[in-house]
Amino acid sequence: MADMDADTAAHTEPSVEEEEPFFSNLDLLLFSLIVGIVVYWYMSRKKPEPIPEFKKLDTPAPAARETSFIEKMKKTGKNIIVFYGSQTGTGEEFANRLSKDAQRYGMKGMAADPEEYEMAELARLSQIENSLAIFCMATYGEGDPTDNAQDFYDWLQEIDDEDLSGLNYTVFALGNKTYEHYNAMGKYVDKRLEELGAKRIFDLGLGDDDGNLEEDFVSWREQFWPSVCEHFGVEASGDDSSIRQYELKEHTDLNMNKVYSGEMGRLKSFEVQKPPYDSKNPFLAPVTVNRKLNKAGDRHLMHVELDITGSKIRYDSGDHVAVFPTNDSAMVNKLGQILGVDLDVVISLNNLDEESNKKHPFPCPTSYRTALTHYLDISQPPRTNVLYELAQYASDPKDQENMRRMSSSSPEGKALYHSWVQGACRNILAILEDMPSLRPPVDHLCELLPRLQARYYSIASSSKVHPDRISICAVVVEYETPTGRTNKGVATNWLKNKLVTDNGHKSTVPMFIRKSQFRLPFKATNPVIMIGPGTGIAPFMGFIQERGWLKEQGKEVGETVLYFGCRYKNEDYIYQEELEEAEKKGVLTQLNVAFSRDEEKKVYVQHLLKNSKEHLWKLIHSDNAHIYVCGDAKNMAKDVQTALQDIAEELGGMTRTQATDYVKKLMTKGRYSQDVWT
Amino acid sequence: MTTKTKAEPKSSGVTNGGARIVVDGDDEVLSPTDLSEMLAEGTKDSHDKAENCQFVKDFLRGRIKRELFKRGTAALYFVYAAMEEEIEKNEDHPHIAPIYFPAELHRREALARDLEYFYGEDWESQISLSAGTKPYVDRIHEVGQRDPVLLVAHSYTRYMGDLSGGQILKKVAQRALKLPSTGEGLNFYQFEGIHSQKGFKQLYRSRMNELELDAETKERIVGESNRAFSFNMMVFTELEEIGKTIKEEVQDAGLGHSHAEIMEGMDGGDINKCPYYAAKMVASGNPTYACQLAMTLLRHPPCQWALAAWVALLAGFTAWYLL
Repeated sequence: MADMDADTAAHTEPSVEEEEPFFSNLDLLLFSLIVGIVVYWYMSRKKPEPIPEFKKLDTPAPAARETSFIEKMKKTGKNIIVFYGSQTGTGEEFANRLSKDAQRYGMKGMAADPEEYEMAELARLSQIENSLAIFCMATYGEGDPTDNAQDFYDWLQEIDDEDLSGLNYTVFALGNKTYEHYNAMGKYVDKRLEELGAKRIFDLGLGDDDGNLEEDFVSWREQFWPSVCEHFGVEASGDDSSIRQYELKEHTDLNMNKVYSGEMGRLKSFEVQKPPYDSKNPFLAPVTVNRKLNKAGDRHLMHVELDITGSKIRYDSGDHVAVFPTNDSAMVNKLGQILGVDLDVVISLNNLDEESNKKHPFPCPTSYRTALTHYLDISQPPRTNVLYELAQYASDPKDQENMRRMSSSSPEGKALYHSWVQGACRNILAILEDMPSLRPPVDHLCELLPRLQARYYSIASSSKVHPDRISICAVVVEYETPTGRTNKGVATNWLKNKLVTDNGHKSTVPMFIRKSQFRLPFKATNPVIMIGPGTGIAPFMGFIQERGWLKEQGKEVGETVLYFGCRYKNEDYIYQEELEEAEKKGVLTQLNVAFSRDEEKKVYVQHLLKNSKEHLWKLIHSDNAHIYVCGDAKNMAKDVQTALQDIAEELGGMTRTQATDYVKKLMTKGRYSQDVWT
Repeated sequence: MTTKTKAEPKSSGVTNGGARIVVDGDDEVLSPTDLSEMLAEGTKDSHDKAENCQFVKDFLRGRIKRELFKRGTAALYFVYAAMEEEIEKNEDHPHIAPIYFPAELHRREALARDLEYFYGEDWESQISLSAGTKPYVDRIHEVGQRDPVLLVAHSYTRYMGDLSGGQILKKVAQRALKLPSTGEGLNFYQFEGIHSQKGFKQLYRSRMNELELDAETKERIVGESNRAFSFNMMVFTELEEIGKTIKEEVQDAGLGHSHAEIMEGMDGGDINKCPYYAAKMVASGNPTYACQLAMTLLRHPPCQWALAAWVALLAGFTAWYLL
């Protein structure tokens, strides 16, 4: 570093000032003197007082600090204590939420920092009736405890003859799956407490920050509370108003201009559209093309084009388009009928916790119809917490019991939920139909249902060729459930029905763009290898258009290789004409198509990769090719990765480990990109 | 053309400009001459120093004074304003165009909003370029005008670091300074245009590796990146010094962070690539920085004023005490 630093600041800097110093030494001396005299004069006139700022530095004397959590719990009537091992505050936040939750279930909880209390008291927690210790434990670094949990961890390791048999406990662990010692601390506490004789009343929860920590926590919590209630024999229902988080307000004489009709953010944002467009302010893009892509077969693969003229929306090939679908109106009407409510009543659901940032569960005021159409997910099988909360409204005790059981953590309960709700693909409407005694108030149902999410599609066009148009390629989801109902994918069916002209009106789609890192190489000369069976071809239609455009501009374009796959050549070989045309023009230098059901032996893209391994290896290893994979994450993407590792192993003369690292490194360096979904 | 970089002699264990380029057997297989890897390896020492400096440690423990945080934000504003100005001027330069991501990366506007939050509407008249930040800003302008390829180093050093530890630092600052959960004052840490930071860093690396550079230029970029680290160290050493003179309640001393947790918060596999994370500034370890800083401060008119004022105050107090 020496040679670099030598010519940095030290030498280049001073020259400017040195020639004519702004202040001469005399000036400085005089200035100092004057100020000095002024200060002396001022200070001698005024009695010096203690400088107030210093006070703040003194922390309140912690002399009489309560280190006994048992005493504190007894004093304040708590029965649940939530310890947190937290560094970033997330663990602490979870602990606070859990201790608050307790109130909703008729118990009282407190969050506690293990560093502040005498943890050996855990052995005496049974002195408190129906007591429970919850541990929200974060892991960091090489599987270490957080600083504030270090003493607790040491204590756990040391005590061998401690008897914790009276202790009820459960652990939620916070960690990150990309680390080798995933959730080591949480796992340790969970295991160690059991070894010491404590009673685990609910299974260890594992939160993965690499995935979705919040979701992991919420779903764990949903299962956890019902089973705690069950364990202590607490009737969670009792006073049902105490469980509600929102309060219903019906509006009778509200100006309709103040009522939300499906907007995500600003009222009337659909009538008066203003850029920039994003998730809170989607653009209403007219549908200009909506056609079926497959020639035969019982599926419906579609190509939809959205017009973004005048929206100032810009995109790159490989970006995602997000659309906000709406629920099937027939389904919404059926819900209204079965619950016997007027869906056009305008309401607000206001948070009872006034401190909360979230005032309403969805934009309010609005009508039940709008909420059930635009804002709430009514198609997914409801989660167990919804069943748990709704159980109180089942007038048949047997239905009520079944619902409670399904939301408990007992093996039979879980099995029942898996078969009766998930396995049978029952959405909320199907549940209401099949449980005639269950008739919850619609406002409580609206409070409980999750929000309807935007759906993301890989854009199937290039902005270089089509700056004002965004193409979507998707397969319509529709299937028969074990109960004989037909379930339809919300967004794909809604898109399918977006006809170009609907009774003379243009159909529109609320949309915005999400930037992705799935981009073509900057240099057109770099080869690209694209692997995308089925609708996984979507971003590659954009890539191929863009490479074609570059070629037309007279640019030298590197090899462009596509691996596509479908079932039958004569049925679902989508974009066949476009692809063959691109091949003819030399834009696609290689078009490899796997037909999985045309021959006896199923052929998939990964098989075709192996067939052309020598050429592939040369492109990857010697020519700096970029690899792109799009489509199914669970099987295809994994099989493709394995196939590429095999090729590296075989043709690169590597060991298995080296080949795995080689592929991983390609990913780190952005030369192996995936756009996959489950 | 694409094989050009392949032809370069492989540097093995060479010490050049402080960058230790270690090439082990495994790396041989995958172009160890890729710029992203040379940078990760060549700035390791700088990164290590960053981990252990007092300012960073304090920041991670939540020991941040609001005034210092404001000044730090102002310093960053001058740095990013300079860097983005030069990048924009050179956006069509063949070595800049591939890594030109204004919508995703550029921070100047976000910092301006943060400063407006902290200082009010007339924030621009309230902040000034500090003596410790000036050499950094000057250097950025210098390379932007004379040797734009070195902007790659400055861009890498800042943005990749911001993308690595930003979210956690945001949380620390939010808690320690009791800033609103809606993100006011912390726009700098929020990359609205990037959906996946991990994915974006991969794209950025691939773009850096696509730059057509000879071995010598790559090594100059590694050198410049280390220099950018030093400049950041100067900025934060200055802040640390100023911090000693500010009496302010240190809020929330108990809830902090360790570097290890920052690392855990980052996406996996990138640990060694985190060039240094947002607080990243560093002090300790190298006395020459302190000297440089002192010299720079002494030659800077506002500092002369400050020095004179201190001497004067001291004289005054002494007089009052003695007389």
